[in-house]
Amino acid sequence: MKNKDNAIVAEAEGFTLRRREFLGLLTGVAAVATMAGPSALMAKVMDNGGILRIGASANPSSLDPATGGAGTDHVFLYPIFATLVEWDYDTLEARPGLAMSWEYPNPETLVLHLREGVRFHDGTTLDAEAVRFNLERNRTDERSNIRSDLGSVESVEVTGPYQVTIHLKNPDTSLPLVLSDRAGMMVSPTSIEKFGDTSDRNPVGAGPMQFVEWNDGDRIVVKRNPDYWDDERPLIDGIDFRIITDSSTRLRSVMSGQNDLAYQLEGRQKPLIERGGSARGIYGATVYCYQIYLNQAKGPLSNVKVRQALNYAIDRDALVKASMHGAGEPAYMNLPSSHWAYDAEVAKLYSYDPDKARQLLAEAGFPDGIELDMRGYNDQGSVQRQEIIMSMLAAVGIRGRFKTGTIPDMSAAYFARGEGDFLVSAWTGRPDPSLTYGLLYAANSYFNAGKVEPPEGLMEAVSASRSTDNIAERKKAFSTVQQLVMENALVVPLAFREDIMAATDKVQNLQTNLLGKPKFEHVYLES
Amino acid sequence: MMSRTKQLMLLNRLVQAIPIMILATFLVFSLLKLVPGDIAITIAGENATEERIQEIRELYGLNQPFLVQYGNWLLSAVQGDFGQSLLSGEPVLDTISRVFPNTLFIVVYAVILSVLIGVPLGILASSRPNSRLDGAIMGASSLGVAVPNFWLGMVLVSIFALTWNWFPATGFTSPGVSFTAALWFATLPAVALCTNGIAEVARQLRSSLVEIHSSQHVRTLHAKGLSPSVILWKHGLKNVSVNLLTVISLLFNKALAATVVVETVFAIPGMGNTIVKAVLEGDFPVVQGAVLAMVVTVILVNLVTDVLYTVLDPRITQV
Repeated sequence: MKNKDNAIVAEAEGFTLRRREFLGLLTGVAAVATMAGPSALMAKVMDNGGILRIGASANPSSLDPATGGAGTDHVFLYPIFATLVEWDYDTLEARPGLAMSWEYPNPETLVLHLREGVRFHDGTTLDAEAVRFNLERNRTDERSNIRSDLGSVESVEVTGPYQVTIHLKNPDTSLPLVLSDRAGMMVSPTSIEKFGDTSDRNPVGAGPMQFVEWNDGDRIVVKRNPDYWDDERPLIDGIDFRIITDSSTRLRSVMSGQNDLAYQLEGRQKPLIERGGSARGIYGATVYCYQIYLNQAKGPLSNVKVRQALNYAIDRDALVKASMHGAGEPAYMNLPSSHWAYDAEVAKLYSYDPDKARQLLAEAGFPDGIELDMRGYNDQGSVQRQEIIMSMLAAVGIRGRFKTGTIPDMSAAYFARGEGDFLVSAWTGRPDPSLTYGLLYAANSYFNAGKVEPPEGLMEAVSASRSTDNIAERKKAFSTVQQLVMENALVVPLAFREDIMAATDKVQNLQTNLLGKPKFEHVYLES
Repeated sequence: MMSRTKQLMLLNRLVQAIPIMILATFLVFSLLKLVPGDIAITIAGENATEERIQEIRELYGLNQPFLVQYGNWLLSAVQGDFGQSLLSGEPVLDTISRVFPNTLFIVVYAVILSVLIGVPLGILASSRPNSRLDGAIMGASSLGVAVPNFWLGMVLVSIFALTWNWFPATGFTSPGVSFTAALWFATLPAVALCTNGIAEVARQLRSSLVEIHSSQHVRTLHAKGLSPSVILWKHGLKNVSVNLLTVISLLFNKALAATVVVETVFAIPGMGNTIVKAVLEGDFPVVQGAVLAMVVTVILVNLVTDVLYTVLDPRITQV
């Protein structure tokens, strides 16, 4: 945290101050030096207002956090909706949000202490009753897409004007981070009553920005919420999102000055950004993981040795270099190295070793190699990745043909109908690792295509990670989970995608986050 | 103004348009349903369970038989209710009334450019058939037909937007908001779109004019002592105007289709982008509404063209 503060101060020094601000700065220097986080005073100095123009990657599926479903929606949801819990940009550890603090009096009860005096954009008070309303709506409403996120909740009780007690069916310490995502985005109860089923297009939250306009496939406009609870945010007057799905066009819009910023660019565009000119690149690690899903229910992949052979056969460094222009981190488990629950020991399990792969295949009873029914997507990037994977597998005697299709089609064929032996796809990541492991490997989970029982102890370790809120103990539980996943080779992790943004020099204090879903709350514009 | 028989004919044509509209929307609907993919999965989102997907199918009526789904859509559409996007909930009429003017603006702009540039080129080329100038113009127009407009669009962007900064590389402003801004935004897309049109106008005009110039009728005019310019402007162009009109109306319809690609390159919120996105997602109310709007436009353009024929050439009476 300390380093980040210094960076912010250093950046602030770089621009011309107005006289009054300068005087304010002088008197505040001592305070700045001792405070954690940029002080309200510094924030005032950086607050030049202005509209941030962003080239956005996709039209949102909905602007109601409960009814939407796409991972690309968050970029629009974060400014409009304040969340109960926030996370650290670099490690994804939980941080206070609308809930100033929380505790588990026992493993099956979570108590949230809310910030007082917060109002939604329509003036409705954000109190314990509003939180209860939201949590109940998210976990029971017919239109809610996030009911399963709150599956561990038994009931929600208002225990004080600003205190909410959540009773759980089973211990679940992943809940605070769940409340940093859609489930914790608070929607004004008055607006839900008013708009009903049209809440998708009439979002009213308590976030730093309030909603102005949404034209499908074209633009989304939000403006500053003057009453936001945090004095240090936002530092701009509004955001004008222009929806440009083609990543080349999105980058061009920044280089030619129609936009100030574009996000979710691709590795192959990195050289273009770095060639200089008006845009600069901002890069950061994410939990978005390209991986091969394995159907362990049938064929050779039901044999653990074959699955291990697959893991040894992939040269991840080469894959990152060739298919991502180096804009990624080789993946040896489901979490990247900067994540708080990363385990360096597990990451050492599978170094690139084609000989070992061949040997394992032979031990499994396939000395002449095997033939697999491979599945993948048909966009340019996926096809390229699949070609590289195919040649690496062929080198150890794993042959086969790729059958490709669009993402929804191929996913449905592989996950829902159990077609194919494996699918080259990705995992977009979740705020809490226990969600990732539960969703990927539980026997009844959608993403466990073969619906195979996970190895003994795995689900117990996932539960253990949820029954304590001590971070060291949680980390230990996840080490066990990761070890079991990788030793049994339930998956072939390939690489973590790098978050690539391009912005003009006007945009200051832009940070990437590990979740790979950009927030612009601290951004300010150079005047 | 219009004779009674002409009015009747016009009415007849409008009535004929109805089955065309039904057929077109039905064909598009069938194609959408034939293509693999399930919008329920898209709506359900990333955490989807099988039950949730099934629930959504019921919620949106996606589990009903194909013909019932189309029938429901048609029934509402006839009553003026075009529904809303299954994904974002934006009413289809709102979407179309917002994006269609943008597309029309660019198409009309491109057609005007095609005529303004193509006509002089065609006249120039026909003035001395088989000369070097003629060869150069016809060669260039072959190139104009062959150049793919998405490629040209990117070249234009890299020169005029990224290097020289004369025009914006992406985006659009609705002509309703600011006409001059719309012109500024639409120039590069319209130029990218019009090369084909320029080439076609020039070629058609040249060949028609060459034919007329060598006709006995024009020879007589020369013999009468009329100057070449009077012959061209009073007699030549008048005779090719019907041909030219046909070319222009075809051009308009073609450009309407070609905007799909150009709009993507320039990130313009228009019909092309809207249709592509909706088709990929299987968002059929949007696709149906947009296709219907396009079909109606094409029918109207053809109708207006037919009416103009009778104005330009009184010998044509059948509308």
